[in-house]
Amino acid sequence: MSSTPLLQVDAIDASIGVINILHGVSLSVSSGELVTVIGANGAGKTTLLRVISNLLKPSVGLVQFDGAPTTAVEAHRLARRGLIHVPQGRQIVPTLSVLDNLIIGAERSEIVDSETLVENLEREYSRFPVLRERKDLAAGSLSGGEQQMLAVSRALMMRPKLLMLDEPSLGLAPQIVKTILNALRQLADEGLAVLLVEQVAMAALSVADNAHVLRNGEIALSGTASELRRDKALVESYLG
Amino acid sequence: MLDTYLQILVSGLAMGAIYTLTAKGLFIAHLATHKLNFGQGDFLMVGAFLSMSLIIAGIPVLLAALLVLIALGLLGWGLERLVIRPLDRFGISGGSTYSWILTTAGVALILQNIAELVWGKSSHYSPPLFSEGRDNVIEIAGINMFVEEILVIGFAAVVVAFFYYMLFRTRWGRAVYTVAFNPEAAMLLGINVRRTVVLVFVLASLLAGISGILVGPLITIHPHIGLMFTIKALAVAAIGGFSNPLGILIGGVLFGVAEAFSNYYDSAFGDLYPLIFVLVFLVFRPSGLFSEAQADVR
Repeated sequence: MSSTPLLQVDAIDASIGVINILHGVSLSVSSGELVTVIGANGAGKTTLLRVISNLLKPSVGLVQFDGAPTTAVEAHRLARRGLIHVPQGRQIVPTLSVLDNLIIGAERSEIVDSETLVENLEREYSRFPVLRERKDLAAGSLSGGEQQMLAVSRALMMRPKLLMLDEPSLGLAPQIVKTILNALRQLADEGLAVLLVEQVAMAALSVADNAHVLRNGEIALSGTASELRRDKALVESYLG
Repeated sequence: MLDTYLQILVSGLAMGAIYTLTAKGLFIAHLATHKLNFGQGDFLMVGAFLSMSLIIAGIPVLLAALLVLIALGLLGWGLERLVIRPLDRFGISGGSTYSWILTTAGVALILQNIAELVWGKSSHYSPPLFSEGRDNVIEIAGINMFVEEILVIGFAAVVVAFFYYMLFRTRWGRAVYTVAFNPEAAMLLGINVRRTVVLVFVLASLLAGISGILVGPLITIHPHIGLMFTIKALAVAAIGGFSNPLGILIGGVLFGVAEAFSNYYDSAFGDLYPLIFVLVFLVFRPSGLFSEAQADVR
């Protein structure tokens, strides 16, 4: 783990319309670290990720990525700099093929020569072999789990420095959730910074290094994932 | 008799090719932004007039076409920047969900009036693009056919093929489909959504420009031909269900051929019957030739 965090969120407040969603939220993620933010529905998890990727401006506070403030940088430029946000619902393009979805990711990270592209595709096909089998099918025809695998692989085709995922377990069978979370753990072990937002607390805590519990837009509890896992009752009381 | 029918068929295919190109412009803008340019036909009219004036002024056809396309590209860019994008700032709360209908139709009216000021109200004849005279004929398999019409069909086919290539084989095409699906998700994938949308309107405008250049020698041009082309392009796009490029291609060709035959049998109301047919067709198949489930048929 490097000493300077790749992502630094300092005391941010954020509102949607007149409703204040986040209050003084701070956290950091370093390369090689998997941080999870857990919280109930409506706690502000999605809003937090939207602020980090600059889809929503914070009313107060500062977000820094790779040593520079993000506020003045448009979302698509942040993505090209390696801040990759996989939104809730996966958002794969249903009318394009699995391969085209993967290529979209590669194109924006300027993987232009065909050799590098093939290398990157091979890496993702070996991570999730089902994507190779389905590569020519319309992405919309994949199952929910396969779509989530595609969303993760597409994000990795963009050569992320920080990978943020918004509830990847949503609507998936426990076995598939496990496959995806294990893949995230492996990526963090390989040096990637991962910020995982989840509602399924124990599953997320089982792979994370550090964790924060978000409640009503505030960080209610923070600690290492193993500490929080030991205090299951306390965590669940915060999740309501 | 067969000769006459074949000649009508070729004329119909030529006009069908023009309708297809114009409708493709509507399709691409609708795909990416769910908005339409109600002045698409008037962009065609501007393209036809500019092309006519430049060729009459003695500028070589290729150079004239290039200049027309530059002008139309700028017009498409201006449309997005000045007439479409500002409306997005107001959002639904400003009651502007459909304001683009009024603003693009407004641009159409402005273009018609400018055309009246520049070229007058009367009809004009554009010089031929590909041959010596408008009425040049060649004999193919014993049947006389207009050179202009044959070449318009060939050229339009090349443009449609290029359009397909852009949409389904290039980085830009994939970006268009991603923006069409969800602009915010596209941003998170590093796609510059605003630039993609501007390019969509420029391409739509270029398609109208190409249609205008090609159609000039086939019809008489006046400042108010645009509305008819917009209506027919909308009808063709509706046959294709707006989301299906293959449906639009088939719709455009069918519409052009049907119109040519209906004009042959009833020169007074010939334009009317294909439109009535489209109305009836839409009653039975409101989502177009291919259902929504097959929206990605290429």
